[in-house]
Amino acid sequence: MTDKPTISPCLKVISASFIFLFFNIFNQTLFSQNPLQSNQSAPIYIPAPPTNVRAQDFKYDRGEAVEVRWELSADDTGSNFITGYEIYRAGEKSDSFILVGFVAPKNKLLIDKNVERGKYYRFKVAASYDGRLSYSEISNAVTPEMDIINWNLLNLFLVGLIVAGAVIYFIAHAKRGKKLFIRKIAGLEAIDEAIGRATEMGRPILFIPGISDMDDVQTIAGITLLGRVAKVVADYDIKINMPVSRSLVMTTARETIKEAYLGAGRPDAYNDDMVRYVTDEQFGYVAAVDGIMVREKPATCFYLGAFFAESLILAETGNSIGAIQIAGTAQPAQLPFFVVACDYTLIGEELFAASAYLSNEPKQLGSLKGQDVGKFLAMIVIIIGVVSATVSHAWGGEFFIKLSEYMQRIFTIQN
Amino acid sequence: MQIFGIWVAAFLTLGIISFLYKDNPWYKVCESIFVGISAGYWFVTLFFDNILGLFWRGITAPDPNYMLLVGATLGVMMLLRLVPSIGWISRWPLAFVVGATAGFYLINYFSSNVMLQVQSTLMPLLGSRFGQPVFSASLYDTIGNIVIAGGTFTGLVYFFFSKEHKGAFGGAARIGIWTIMITFGASFGYTVMSRMSLLIGRMEFIFGDWLGLIR
Amino acid sequence: MKRQVPLLITLVVGTVLILSVFFPPAERLGEDFSIFFDIIAVFAFFLGGGNLVRIHGNRLYKKNKDWAFSLVTLLGFFIMLIAGLFKLGNPGGISADVAASGSLFQMLYDWIFNPLGATMYALLAFYVASASYRAFRAKNREATILLIAAFIILLGRTPLGVYATSWIPESFSLLQIPNLAIWIMTSPNLAGQRAIMIGIALGVISMSLRLILGVERTYLGVDNE
Repeated sequence: MTDKPTISPCLKVISASFIFLFFNIFNQTLFSQNPLQSNQSAPIYIPAPPTNVRAQDFKYDRGEAVEVRWELSADDTGSNFITGYEIYRAGEKSDSFILVGFVAPKNKLLIDKNVERGKYYRFKVAASYDGRLSYSEISNAVTPEMDIINWNLLNLFLVGLIVAGAVIYFIAHAKRGKKLFIRKIAGLEAIDEAIGRATEMGRPILFIPGISDMDDVQTIAGITLLGRVAKVVADYDIKINMPVSRSLVMTTARETIKEAYLGAGRPDAYNDDMVRYVTDEQFGYVAAVDGIMVREKPATCFYLGAFFAESLILAETGNSIGAIQIAGTAQPAQLPFFVVACDYTLIGEELFAASAYLSNEPKQLGSLKGQDVGKFLAMIVIIIGVVSATVSHAWGGEFFIKLSEYMQRIFTIQN
Repeated sequence: MQIFGIWVAAFLTLGIISFLYKDNPWYKVCESIFVGISAGYWFVTLFFDNILGLFWRGITAPDPNYMLLVGATLGVMMLLRLVPSIGWISRWPLAFVVGATAGFYLINYFSSNVMLQVQSTLMPLLGSRFGQPVFSASLYDTIGNIVIAGGTFTGLVYFFFSKEHKGAFGGAARIGIWTIMITFGASFGYTVMSRMSLLIGRMEFIFGDWLGLIR
Repeated sequence: MKRQVPLLITLVVGTVLILSVFFPPAERLGEDFSIFFDIIAVFAFFLGGGNLVRIHGNRLYKKNKDWAFSLVTLLGFFIMLIAGLFKLGNPGGISADVAASGSLFQMLYDWIFNPLGATMYALLAFYVASASYRAFRAKNREATILLIAAFIILLGRTPLGVYATSWIPESFSLLQIPNLAIWIMTSPNLAGQRAIMIGIALGVISMSLRLILGVERTYLGVDNE
């Protein structure tokens, strides 16, 4: 058996020294900016950590969010000494923190919405600068919980109760025989005349209920108006043409018109093909309706519902065939086009009031009175709020300042 | 293939534009193609997004959401309309949709269109800063604030249904409708330019991509 | 039963959705109901699509007027349907995304659907010109106000508007068209928008309550009381 070769201790020391020296020089050469400089390096800047990190359950939610607050880092003076704050989260007994959010400097709050109800969480916040982090202490443990009532919305509930209560009150107390004054709405007064014109000319009526589905309240308003119009159409025995853009609207419209013909004692005159589905696509529908307009030349066109960019195309095509056009929508952006291009336009609220207006039923008209009460309350609030804000801003006065703040608070919705 | 696609698109584009002159067979062909293709497109999209994406994946997920079966049941009820003897059941999903729409819109419109709009209107008429004398108010801000508050107020007066527009009330209503007409005019003027840019886009396609006259 | 049950459904669903906003445990109902609606809409599409096929098929079968165009419509519908449902030409096969690049569905969308939609949208440029011409014939005071406001806003967004009133001294800078346009947008326009929005909201509230309470029933094909 041969002996392993041995290295003398002296040689070991010399070798180790050379290796150490070589590694040191190698390190300095690669990683120092000036390898010829002395070993002294400039101090690396690390920002001061944020302090007083505390976590609490986000109020009045389903227990799926936590609020994390902290005090700013002492270096967060607005002079770009920090780039922001990183927020980390861990379970109660875990030390494994994961990054859950980043906010810009001067921010002291993060709402973490990726938590689960009933579980414990802890947080820490790090001030960051150029990739260097300075961590805070770990926060208290917090458990997100679900609240039964969202008290933040108490003002919305109370004000809503007053307005809705007014509407319900007038609906409930509407008396038969008691005539309620409702001002004339030109577009609605013209419906009979417009349908009469179609009868004289022997041309059909075109009814467009908008391009939204039944999940839009404007479409529902359009369909309820269809019921009124269809009654007159059934009485006059003229053709109604209703191309629609949504299948559910087609189904609803058929029920409505069928009932109108039944009520007029003319069930045999009703035909399912009065209402037909075209396509869900906005401009495909408009292309088809344009074609229907120029070929069938309806005498009267109704545009009652939710419209978007196609409103002007429809209205201008209707103008080109010389039809009477009655439009109504609650899309503020489309109202100008209807006002310019149509003979009569129901502006916003008038579309929703139209059905009640045409019905002449006390309960329905009572709801219009309730609407007016809502408007009246809004006007009173505006007067009080504007006066108190004006006086408080110009001349001060504790009463007016408090009144102004109170008015603002009532109408502010907190999330 | 790309060139074929451009020619098809150009054919269809010019066909639609031909409607501006008058209705013609070229436009009718384009209209028919558009209706057929778009109806097919939306059916396929709705099928994959809602039936497969929402419903099927929700039911077959590791943690299934069985509430989706309620939606499917309502959908099937809708189809019962095709059976005359029990077609009345199709009113139930309709009633569901209308009730949900009414409830959803009531609260949403109230919070965004009433509460928020009224709150935004509660501002000082004199555009001065708190504590400063009234004389430091900017005339521009003051006139603007008066117009906003006054215009909103009179606009609401115009929409009153249960009072005749006579006397002082009628005068306020008239100012209200003038304010609303300014709003409509502003909206109209504002969108004219954006509508023009849509046409420019199509002209770029015709003269650039198709005819190659614009590079 | 045929009339009462739907009204009861509307009442319950509407009330629950209103209250769900104020009670966090019920908050998710709004999202769930929205998903139900999406599913109902797809089922309803079978009725709509069936109606489309029936009407055009009937026209084709009876060789009515314009039957050839009905053939085109049906061809377009079925080609798009088959291309999408069976993912014809899809590079990723049957399990890939339906609108994958290179698929027949996507090609039809790019070459046919898109150009047609964009061109219809572009027609607005012509129609807005004709509507403006009609608006210029202002017949009453309200129309005149609308016209003047539109004119100022339109000019204010063009170099012509800047040039036309650049001679006005700085102390009257509000009368320069671009500044006047900005003022109109931020003051009277804002006031009118607010009044319209508040009115719409109150109208929606009234309409919604009429629907929920069953006062308004026309949509059900049921006579109102």
